Amino acid sequence: MTGARRAPGFGIGMNFRRLMAILGGSVPVSAVAIVLFLAVYAWPAIRFNGFGFIASNSWNLGSLYAEPVSQGGAMILPGAQYGILFLIVGTLLSTAIAMLIAVPVGVGAAVFLAEALPGRARLWLSFLVEMLAAVPSVVFGLWGYAVLIPLLGHYIFPLMTGLLGWIPWFGEPAGSGYGLLTAGLVLSLMIVPLIAATLRDAITAQPMYMREAAAALGATRFETIWKVILPGLRPVLIGAGILATGRALGETMAVLMVSGNALNVLPHSIYAPISTMAAFIASQLDSALQDPTGMATRALAEVALVLCLIAVLVNVLARLILARATAATSQQRA
Amino acid sequence: MKSYRAHLLAAGVIGLGTALAAPSQAAETRVLETGSSLLYPLFNLWVPAYTKDHKVEITTQSTGSGTGISEAVSGLAQIGASDAYLSPAMRKQHANMLNIPLAISSQMVNYNLPELNGRHLKLSGPVLAGIYDGTITDWDNKQIARLNPGVKLPHHAIIPIHRTDGSGDTFIFTQFLSDSTPHWQQAHGYGTTISWPAIQSEIGAEGNQGMVNALQQNPYSVAYIGISYKGAITQNKLGEAALENRAGKFVLANDKTVQAAAAALGGKTPADEAVSLIFQPGAESYPIINYEYAIVDAQMGNPPARDVRDFLSWSIRPDGGNAPHFMNQVNFVALPAAVRRLSQKQINEIGKEQNASN
Amino acid sequence: MPDATLADRAIVMRQARLHARISRRRAVSMLAWVLCGAALAALCLSIVWIIGLVLVRGIAALRPSLFTTVTQGTGGGLLNAIEGTCVLAFGTLLLVIPFGISAGIYAAEFRSSVWARVIRFLSDVLVGLPSIVLGYFGYVTMVEGLGWKFSVAAASITLAIICLPYVARTTEVALGEVPQSLREAAYAMGAGAGTVTLRISMRLAMPAVVTGVLLALAISVGETAPLLYTAGWSNYTWNGHLTGSPIGYLTYVIWAFINEPFAAAHALAYAAALLVTGMVLLISVASRMILLRAQRRM
Repeated sequence: MTGARRAPGFGIGMNFRRLMAILGGSVPVSAVAIVLFLAVYAWPAIRFNGFGFIASNSWNLGSLYAEPVSQGGAMILPGAQYGILFLIVGTLLSTAIAMLIAVPVGVGAAVFLAEALPGRARLWLSFLVEMLAAVPSVVFGLWGYAVLIPLLGHYIFPLMTGLLGWIPWFGEPAGSGYGLLTAGLVLSLMIVPLIAATLRDAITAQPMYMREAAAALGATRFETIWKVILPGLRPVLIGAGILATGRALGETMAVLMVSGNALNVLPHSIYAPISTMAAFIASQLDSALQDPTGMATRALAEVALVLCLIAVLVNVLARLILARATAATSQQRA
Repeated sequence: MKSYRAHLLAAGVIGLGTALAAPSQAAETRVLETGSSLLYPLFNLWVPAYTKDHKVEITTQSTGSGTGISEAVSGLAQIGASDAYLSPAMRKQHANMLNIPLAISSQMVNYNLPELNGRHLKLSGPVLAGIYDGTITDWDNKQIARLNPGVKLPHHAIIPIHRTDGSGDTFIFTQFLSDSTPHWQQAHGYGTTISWPAIQSEIGAEGNQGMVNALQQNPYSVAYIGISYKGAITQNKLGEAALENRAGKFVLANDKTVQAAAAALGGKTPADEAVSLIFQPGAESYPIINYEYAIVDAQMGNPPARDVRDFLSWSIRPDGGNAPHFMNQVNFVALPAAVRRLSQKQINEIGKEQNASN
Repeated sequence: MPDATLADRAIVMRQARLHARISRRRAVSMLAWVLCGAALAALCLSIVWIIGLVLVRGIAALRPSLFTTVTQGTGGGLLNAIEGTCVLAFGTLLLVIPFGISAGIYAAEFRSSVWARVIRFLSDVLVGLPSIVLGYFGYVTMVEGLGWKFSVAAASITLAIICLPYVARTTEVALGEVPQSLREAAYAMGAGAGTVTLRISMRLAMPAVVTGVLLALAISVGETAPLLYTAGWSNYTWNGHLTGSPIGYLTYVIWAFINEPFAAAHALAYAAALLVTGMVLLISVASRMILLRAQRRM
């Protein structure tokens, strides 16, 4: 062994590590580059808009055919102001509705799949649920536009205003089918497989002794799941839930095709049109590019920055909750 | 054995890559036309006819005049189709951009009223301004009733539909509202996109096609739609309004009324051809007509410059793109001779500096 | 005798209350199962409905000419779009495989180092960034900034950045499953880190890594928003240029043509939807089969 400086095989030891570090560095570099770029590019808009950006409902590109004027330290078109409160509200509300629908449905489906079905049915139905995850978002938008909106707008929403009209936010007018509830529904369909599949795998992975112990104590099958198995899976549910929220927050195409594209108005009922930040960026970029002062594109970059910050915040929050929940459950087990 | 598989895989990958990368056509120039959804049906008629005899590959896209203008300015597209001419500020910043009229088109105001789609409701600029800023909320409003004596208007909220994308149709519609209603001019002005007054029931749609769809799906709605979609309107049995022109007469858009409005401009089209044809005087003039522009960079480099020049020259010829059988399919009107000459002069500017070296 | 009956009665009553409670719990459990079943049924109904729509209208629109002619205005075929999707997918994989797998390798093999922790954290940040933001970034930096215009390069790089964290995470998890004893044995025989990782750990982890790569493939086939601003659109097949020339892709057809008021355009949109959904489903099935086969071998 004494004469052999280089080991057989590649034996490139430290250089391999450096190579992996450099190539793998594409991940952190991309992430930082994008957020930094957005911040730098949006800076003139951030300075011009101040806090009014997230507090007011006044997105106005200004008079595109008038002479630019100087205002607030920057050259802008007269009348231009950028306030995106309606976007923030639209994004958060549609994601909230999506989660409110997706979590119970996902948990229910996961429980049923894991516990109530014999082998072959479980395999095929699990596969069916996972197929939902494979459908691209523009196809969801296509289905929502072609099938769901006529159905909701002509039949279901009028029915709902009739039956549930006494609840605030559920009353007349039933709208055209494009709106908050439709967007929330389509989003929930897109994120439910995430929750259902992850939870189902986690439930089936749970050891039999817990089920046996609960059965020995006289619990029904469902009580075993609900009171014994699921509580231990809280970290998994939270993790999947966070991933789902992240996906819903950033969803563009499907929302663009069903949300109604509201401008500067907050929704007054669940049937009202909304706009989300992601869909807004996609639909307004062309108009913004017509601003000769360039302030409009920077304001859009600011929207993108706010969206990124919300997404990152959700992620960080998830890790904290997850860490605490995992610690709690391991404490319970100990 | 394992290395065989690896080598086969590598060979397959490289083979696939090369096959995909192999240039499909030899050096045919590629031209991207993008923009106005009003011009889009006409371009889709022109391109197959033109490329049958000329070696060039032209891709058409319906993305809205706003995109047409911005992509032509930034060089992403060679021809930006737009119903709106460039703004003075844009022209100052990009002095090399040309607005070249290719044809004259018009815009309808359409509505979807279950009993009244067969007849032509009479509407005026001030009434439409009231609808789109929320002061007129119901179809049986006094102002609409005054224009339409004897017509039974439904008591129902009006659903105004507007474009969400940067649109030449929005430009000409809001110019009409501004020219006919001083209050609108002051409060909202005109542009390819404006800050639409917030009305609860209003709907935003993308592209002329989106406007047709939204109109069809929402009874009691009103929308502004380019004339090249007249076929879709009649097919879906939707209504078209007769608009009040400057002389106080109510007219529909057809060849006669559009040509009357174009003639009313007289020889007043300037050399850069950036002029509004909205709300022209004349008893027969239709109030919403406009030049359809190709926004082109005069400083375009030479592989596309020559092809773009040739194509645009063909498109304005009365025996080429401006021939009746093209114009009739989209309900456009051919350019008058004087305007055609101005357009040709601008077309000759494309790639002129490079021309010297050819 | 009277005391015994009182006691008996008390026992019977306690038994009755117990049975009542048990029946109530059973009823509640039964109801809960029904609700769960309903949830699953709703999900399955939705998937059948969506896929059904795409299948029915898509198959009605399929013709051989779809695969041999290019899009002409709002009609024609899908040759340019299909080829474009393949080119973009290939370009994306070419970029994401080396970079993404390396990131995963570093995060797994040098787990406790600072850089690995940075990679892991920022990978989570990157995965949370919406794809439209990445498209916007690609537009301003590559399409406009670098002057590449709509191009395969700009689109592939943007798609690769979107897929990076998925490949990195799958690789990291896959390598984490490889038992440490294997690595130690290899090191003990004198192998360097490169050999140990690439020839031993990766070989074991390969099925899961391939799953990650297939996921990246599915993403690049199904994305729309970022491509709208980086790839543009072209009615013609690719001319081999990496920059300066836009390219077509199937998801554009779905998005743009469904809005056109022409039946031919709708037919193309549904046909494209069928092709895209079919491709992604195939990739998903392949992924699952690879994992199943690997599990069976283990």
